Amino acid sequence: MTTVQPKTFLKDSVAFPFCKGCGHHHYVHNLDRALSSLQLDPKKVCIVSDIGCIGILDSLFVSPHTFHTTHGRSTAFATGVELADGILNDSKLKTVVVIGDGGATIGLLHVVNAALMNVDVTVLVANNMLYGMTGGQHSGFSPLEFITPTTPEGNIVPPMDICAMIKSCGAEYVTSISATDKNLTNVIADAIAHPGFALVEIVELCTEFAIGNNKIDGKTIQAMAEQHNAATLPATFKRKEFCEEYKSKVLGHPSKIKNDALTQRYISSLHGTRRWVIAGTAGEKVQLSSYLLMRAGILCGLHATQKNDNPVTQGSGFSLSEVVLSSEEIYYTGIDVPDVVIISSAEGLKEVTANGTISRSNKQTVIIMEDSLPEITTSARIYRVPLRSMCTPQRATTSAVAAFIARELVIPIEAIVDSIQMHVGEKVSLYQDDIKKLLPLLS
Amino acid sequence: MSIQQIKIRTGNQMIAEGALHAGCQFFAGYPITPASGIYKSMIEELPRRNGVAISSPDEISALAYCVGASARGAKAMTATSGPGWSLMIETVQYALMTELPVVIAVVQRLGPSTGGATQGAQGDILLTEYCTSGAYTIPIFAPSTAEECFEVASLAMFWAEELRTPVIILSDKEIGMMSEDVNFSSLVSSPVNYRKQPVNNDTDGYKTYNFKSLADVPLFSPIGGEHKTTITGSAHDKGGSLQKNSPETIEVLRHLQKKITSRAEEMAFVKTDDDPNADILIISFGITARTAREAVKLARKQGMRVRLVNVISLFPIPEKLLKKAAKGVHTIFIAEENLTGQYRSVIQHLFAGTIVIGINSFGKMITPNDILGCITL
Repeated sequence: MTTVQPKTFLKDSVAFPFCKGCGHHHYVHNLDRALSSLQLDPKKVCIVSDIGCIGILDSLFVSPHTFHTTHGRSTAFATGVELADGILNDSKLKTVVVIGDGGATIGLLHVVNAALMNVDVTVLVANNMLYGMTGGQHSGFSPLEFITPTTPEGNIVPPMDICAMIKSCGAEYVTSISATDKNLTNVIADAIAHPGFALVEIVELCTEFAIGNNKIDGKTIQAMAEQHNAATLPATFKRKEFCEEYKSKVLGHPSKIKNDALTQRYISSLHGTRRWVIAGTAGEKVQLSSYLLMRAGILCGLHATQKNDNPVTQGSGFSLSEVVLSSEEIYYTGIDVPDVVIISSAEGLKEVTANGTISRSNKQTVIIMEDSLPEITTSARIYRVPLRSMCTPQRATTSAVAAFIARELVIPIEAIVDSIQMHVGEKVSLYQDDIKKLLPLLS
Repeated sequence: MSIQQIKIRTGNQMIAEGALHAGCQFFAGYPITPASGIYKSMIEELPRRNGVAISSPDEISALAYCVGASARGAKAMTATSGPGWSLMIETVQYALMTELPVVIAVVQRLGPSTGGATQGAQGDILLTEYCTSGAYTIPIFAPSTAEECFEVASLAMFWAEELRTPVIILSDKEIGMMSEDVNFSSLVSSPVNYRKQPVNNDTDGYKTYNFKSLADVPLFSPIGGEHKTTITGSAHDKGGSLQKNSPETIEVLRHLQKKITSRAEEMAFVKTDDDPNADILIISFGITARTAREAVKLARKQGMRVRLVNVISLFPIPEKLLKKAAKGVHTIFIAEENLTGQYRSVIQHLFAGTIVIGINSFGKMITPNDILGCITL
C-alpha cells in the first residue's frame, strides 16, 4: 500500500494559540516542515508533549499521533513508547518530544536517562528561558541577571547548558540553534532521522515575559545558541541505538533458571506444626540452612514457609530465618513460641534476644547454641555445643539443623541430607561428618 | 503421592509468574524493599520470553515508561512499595485519565515516608484507592498467599486490559518476601485477554476515547497503529481534544468512573471459610486473612460459630458479597495491620445495625491470639 505523503502535518487554517512574536511559531512551522521533508508516514510519527505553552502544539497537528503528558515527563513517556516500538514492534515509529525549558528543568533526569540509553527519541527543547504559561517564572535555563517575575533583581543562579550536559551522557546528536535560524528545518529533520537519541535546543524569546525588562534580541539569542553549540556534530555516529543493543544482547537469551520442582521422596511423622528460628551472622549461610530445612520438609510432603531478616546492609551484622513446617496448610506464618532455636554466633544471640524469641520460648522449646556464647535465662531446654569449631562457621547452622533432625527423627535424616546434597553435591559428606560429631552432644 | 509441581517461591516471584502467564510484555521498575523480588524476577525472565524488562532511574520514570509502552500497545506492569508508590501517583492518575491499561504491584511496608523497609504493614489501602483527584475507583486486588499472588496478578492483568485502566495488586512485605511451597499444578488464572481494538478500517471515524454508553470501554488503537490517536491527561472530549467543562468532557469523566463501577459485581471476589450458623463474622485480607484463618480454626475448637471472609477484590468494594456474609451474625470483626482500621472505615457503613469492631496492629503482625482474644471477649 502506497501512502500519500502530506505536504503538511498541521491542521488546515488553524490559528496558533501563541502570543504575537513568540518563538513557538517558528518552532511549530519548522517541526512541520522537517516531518514533511523526511516524507514520513504520519501514522509512524508520535509527538509527545507536556505542560507549558509549547506543549499545546499537539492540538495543531492533524495526522501524527499525539501524546500530551504530565509536566516535564514527556521524555519518560516517549522512552516507553520507543522501547515498546523498537523491541516489541517493527521499530518504524519516530518519536519526537516537544518540551520547554521549564519542562526540561523538571524532567531533566528523563532526558538524561534517554540520552544515556541512546533510545531513538528526538527531544526538541524550546528554550525561552522561563516558565511562560504559569507567569514567567525563571527556570534552570534563565541566564544570569535575567529579570523575571520571580527574579525581579535579576537571576543570581547561572543557567545550565543542556547541550553540554547531555553530551556528557554520551548522546551523539546534540546541538543548539536559534528559532529564527534558516537552517532550523534541516537541523530538526537531521535530528529526527538520527537513529538514536538526539537533542536540539531551540533558543527563543518569550515576548510576554522576557522582553521589556531584559536587554535581549535576536543577536543575543543567536550568540547563546552558538555558545551552547561550541562542539560541532561528529562526522560519524558510533553508538548503537538502545533497542538494537537490547535485541542483540538481552532479548531471547535462554533462561538460567533451572527446573526446581520437588517430588515427595520421604515420609515425615510430623502431625501438626514445627516452628524453627535460626540465627547467626551474615555471610555464614544462615538463610541457606533455613532454605535447606524447608526443602527437606517439602521433600517429605510437608508444607513450609521461610522468612528472613537481616540489617539493611545485608552483608553485615545478624542473619535470621524463621521456618514453619506443617502437615497441614500453613495459615499463620509468624512464630510466637518457637519449637527449635539455633544460635550460631553472638550477632544471632543478640537478635533473638532483641526480637523476643528467647523470652517467648518455653519448656517445649529446644535451643541449640554455640557453646562459647554467654548464658541465657529461659525455661527452654538448652544444648550448648561447639558449633563453630566443630563444623566451621559456614556449616554451623546447617549441620545443627541436620543433627537435630537426626536426633528427633520426625523428618527422616535422608531428607535433610538429600536437600543439602542438592545444593553442595559431594561436599555433603562434610555435613554428614558434622552430624556424627554433633549427635552425641544433643542426647 | 505425587507432588511433581511443588516449587519454593515467594509471593513476589508468583506475582511475576502470574503477570507473565497473563501475557505481560513490558516491565519497568526501580528496586525497593520489599517489592524488589518482582523486579528481579521480571529482569531475569521477561527478556527470555521476548518481552522487555527495564531498570529505570526512579519510580516516576518506571511508571511513565510502562504507560508509554502501553500506549504503543504493550501489556505493561511495574512494582514498588510505599515510598516509590508516592512518586508514581502523578502517573497513575494520568493512566486513569488517558485510559491506558497498566498493572502496579504495591508491596506494602511500614510507613509513613521511608518508614521501615523490612517491616510489614497494611497501611496503604486508602492512599492507594484514593490517590486520584476525584477519588475515581481503581480496582485493587490483595493476595494472601504465594499461590494467590499468581491468581491475583493474572486477574489484575485481565481487568486492566478489559477496562483500559490502571489496576493495583496490593500485597505486603510478609506475602511478598516469604518463601513457601507452591503447588504449580493447582494454580488458578484468569483468561488471557487484550484490550478490544477497532475491527474495521474506518480510520477517519476513530476516536481515542469514543463510547456510546458511559459504561463502554473505548476501543484501543496503539500509537503507531492505523488510527490516529490523540492522547491527553487534560480534560478532553471523546476525540481527545482538550476541552474545559463542555458537556461531552463531563460525560467523559463520568464514564471513567462508570466503566469501572458497572463491572463491580464481576470483579467482586472474596474467599469464605463458612459456618452457616455463624454468629460472628471476621473480615480480613492479605497476610492478616491467613492469621484470621488460624484464629478461626482455634475458635471453632472452642465451639464458637465463626465465618471468615478473605477479601481479594478490595475495590470496587464487593458490597453484595460482604452484606451477604454479614447476614445472621451479631458482631463483625475487621482485622487489618494498620493503626486506624482503613478498610473498616470504608466498609462499615454496609453493616448498619450490626456491631462492627476493628482488630488492628501496626509495627508487628496480628497474631491468632490477638484475634481470638478480641472475638472471645
